[in-house]
Amino acid sequence: MPDLPYLKPLLITAVVILVFPLVVGYIVLAERKVLADYQVRLGPMRVGPYGFLQPLADAVKLLIKEDIVPAASDRFIFWIAPVLSTVTALTAFTVLPLSEWIYITDVNIGLLFVLALSSVGILGIILGGWASNSHYSLLGALRSAAQMVSYEVAMGFALVSGLMVAGTLSMQGIIQAQRDRQIWFAFENYGLMMVPFVVYAIAAVAETNRAPFDLPEAESELVAGFHTEYSGFRWSLYMLAEYANMFAVSSIAVTLFLGGWLRPFPSFAWLHFPLNVAFPAGLFLLISFGCLMGSRKQRGHRVNTGIMLVLTAATAGLGGAFLVPQVNERIIGLFWFLFKVSAILYCYIWYRGTFPRFRYDQLMRIGWRYMIPIGMGSLIVNGVVLLWSRRGAAL
Amino acid sequence: MIKFLRTILLLDLLQGLWVTFRNQKPSYIYTEQYPAERPQVAERYRGAPRLNIHPESGETLCIACNLCALACPETLIVVGSERNEKTRRKELTIFTYDTSRCMFCGLCEDACPVDALELTQDFELASYTREGAIWDRQMLEEGPLPKQYKR
Repeated sequence: MPDLPYLKPLLITAVVILVFPLVVGYIVLAERKVLADYQVRLGPMRVGPYGFLQPLADAVKLLIKEDIVPAASDRFIFWIAPVLSTVTALTAFTVLPLSEWIYITDVNIGLLFVLALSSVGILGIILGGWASNSHYSLLGALRSAAQMVSYEVAMGFALVSGLMVAGTLSMQGIIQAQRDRQIWFAFENYGLMMVPFVVYAIAAVAETNRAPFDLPEAESELVAGFHTEYSGFRWSLYMLAEYANMFAVSSIAVTLFLGGWLRPFPSFAWLHFPLNVAFPAGLFLLISFGCLMGSRKQRGHRVNTGIMLVLTAATAGLGGAFLVPQVNERIIGLFWFLFKVSAILYCYIWYRGTFPRFRYDQLMRIGWRYMIPIGMGSLIVNGVVLLWSRRGAAL
Repeated sequence: MIKFLRTILLLDLLQGLWVTFRNQKPSYIYTEQYPAERPQVAERYRGAPRLNIHPESGETLCIACNLCALACPETLIVVGSERNEKTRRKELTIFTYDTSRCMFCGLCEDACPVDALELTQDFELASYTREGAIWDRQMLEEGPLPKQYKR
């Protein structure tokens, strides 16, 4: 569209802003359901079939909740802090390469931009904790600041290793580089890039304040950490920011290390049909079949059959869309990107269901004594190996 | 050396992840969807009291002997009776049972010589008032009637 250069970015921005809160709602539902699986519980079951409409109920509840501002708080900062967190978290979406043609913008410093924004996002947490005028909030904010600052260094080292291999900061450029070199960067350099990938994966969990590094909001110690005094819509903004950050951080991992919107083994042409057509179509048809099976009466309670059948039809239609070549080539990139991001988000929930929280000194020791030195070392080793393996070739 | 390798490769963490992953079998779930799914209480469970009636004549089995009221450690049973001059027998007039004070020890049902008073397997004893917890003769004969919820 040469005559309307701003149309597509604006459209995608609008879709992201409108749809992402809903997506966050469903990530939360998925988290509750997966955690319930690990703890042999059922999870939400009451709102809609199998709790499918729970996010909507939660959203309505949060929106109509009384808006409490502590009397002794700094009202303006109390108001602006969650906004700051949310805006910075959502701004990071501008450079995420959702697929080959679905992206808002592709700046040549994309990765740096995301890193900078995630640093600014800490400010929202610190301000929120300080403005609440509560000890719990302040302690949570302090922990959060210290944790994020120390893990950002390790994360930076891991990312620099990736950048070195990619040779560019542009998000689309990084994926193009993986396509040109025909390998995901997690396996580049004779597998040595696995080390920065693991460092990044661990630092990313700490960076997004998730378990086992969830000290800023350690509920057994600090009530709820920096957002103790927040409730209703402001609280939901913080949650939105947290999940947006998780999504952004996972997207960076996918882009830099796991090939972004490329399918696995992009160089093998014969894998096009099984991976690009059969796999997504089969996946959605399987989900559709599951919905159909779930629409029957289960364990003595009735299921809302109408909603389940709509879900069945929707997922079956989505699966069918992957069988149409013209549609397939437009959405297959988005599918692979979101599939990889979902896999990483599942791991986040998995960690939360498995690992106990670290003590504060353990957290700092892991960060400074292990993550940062390993990040530095892998940077040097990867640099040397990269120079050696690409000797003669133009860097 | 092996311990060092395990630490480097994060094997312990992976092992932990596997433990949580393999435990998510649907058959392990024993969550009860309570209003939709009724729990199976044991046969010897002692719940709501019931005053049995004769299945054919519909008359109460209680002979108003007052033994249950004497057996009750909480003295929460009140039995009222009057003599029927025609049949020359004691007949039951009132029978109240305060479930709010009951500890379901079952001594009353043991004391009953005619198996009229019995502790059943019903467990839904909630009411909106304190007075609602004091059951009269009619309620004891009919048993608790909890509201049925759909879904």
